[in-house]
Amino acid sequence: MSNHSQAHPAHLQHHFVDSDQQFDAAKMGMWVFIVNEILFFGGLFCAYIVFRAWYPDLFTQAATELNTVWGAVNTLVLIGSSLTVAMAIRSAQKNQIKGLQINLLITIALACVFLLIKYFEYSHKLHIGIWPGAELYTYEGIDHPLAHVFFSIYYVMTGIHAIHIIVGIGLMIWIYIRAKKNEFGSEYYTPVEMVGLYWHLVDVIWIFLFPLLYLIE
Amino acid sequence: MILSEDKTMSEHNHHEHHVSSAGQLWAIGIALTLLTILTVGLSYVEIPAPFDVVVALTVAFGKAFLVCAFFMNLYWDTKFNTMLLIGAFAFFILMVAVTLLDTLYRNDVVPSF
Repeated sequence: MSNHSQAHPAHLQHHFVDSDQQFDAAKMGMWVFIVNEILFFGGLFCAYIVFRAWYPDLFTQAATELNTVWGAVNTLVLIGSSLTVAMAIRSAQKNQIKGLQINLLITIALACVFLLIKYFEYSHKLHIGIWPGAELYTYEGIDHPLAHVFFSIYYVMTGIHAIHIIVGIGLMIWIYIRAKKNEFGSEYYTPVEMVGLYWHLVDVIWIFLFPLLYLIE
Repeated sequence: MILSEDKTMSEHNHHEHHVSSAGQLWAIGIALTLLTILTVGLSYVEIPAPFDVVVALTVAFGKAFLVCAFFMNLYWDTKFNTMLLIGAFAFFILMVAVTLLDTLYRNDVVPSF
């Protein structure tokens, strides 16, 4: 029996030939999930494109209410977190469990910074009456009858992105706890790699949201 | 050149997962930071529409390429995963194209507005 468990490491499921096949299958599954995510956000980007084609002036006027500096800072925060998550995977590959934990903690911290900045942006807008939807929108600083349409798009796109950040924080806490239990190393780090792929995807989506929402004027 | 050597190595020996060097990862991170500064800078330059959007999206696609190729490791990965990504994007373009065929050619944009 001890021979048997040596031939099959604890992480290897019975229906896979070896760890490599299991890793590649997991990664392909993750990429299929990313396809799904791209088309999910794709529907939102499609709405953005349709409304921007209809009302180009609305977008250039309304976007002036978004703070370019905070948007840019948040972009850099997410890029930094992508770098630390890549470093976390590298640490796992090199059996540096301490480095894995530290990089995960920095990533979680950066994700929280992103959410904090987003919270200040949202609360400022809500305070001056920029709410999503025609009924709730009361701000009068934008001289366009459909100003609320831009902000509905803004809130839905950045809001769903922010939900992805929150999910990512949860996933990274889970990975951190498992790393603390010494479950990962160069032989097995599949969950670290998959959460990394997810986190990079969230970064890529923001890479498109930032210029399309903040940088038009 | 170092990158292409790594690639041939991993193709010959499939059991070795690619491990990026810390320097490589930092280089990508710095490139992404510089491109972010570039795109913010360009937004203050008066570029006539629609080329302002074209420029901003070109930089964004450049950044997305760096993340996908070197952070998500598609450069060293099986080509099938790259195909999945390109396929997703192709279907996104299809969705937008078919939608615009409707919305761009309406007489009355949205009747209730």
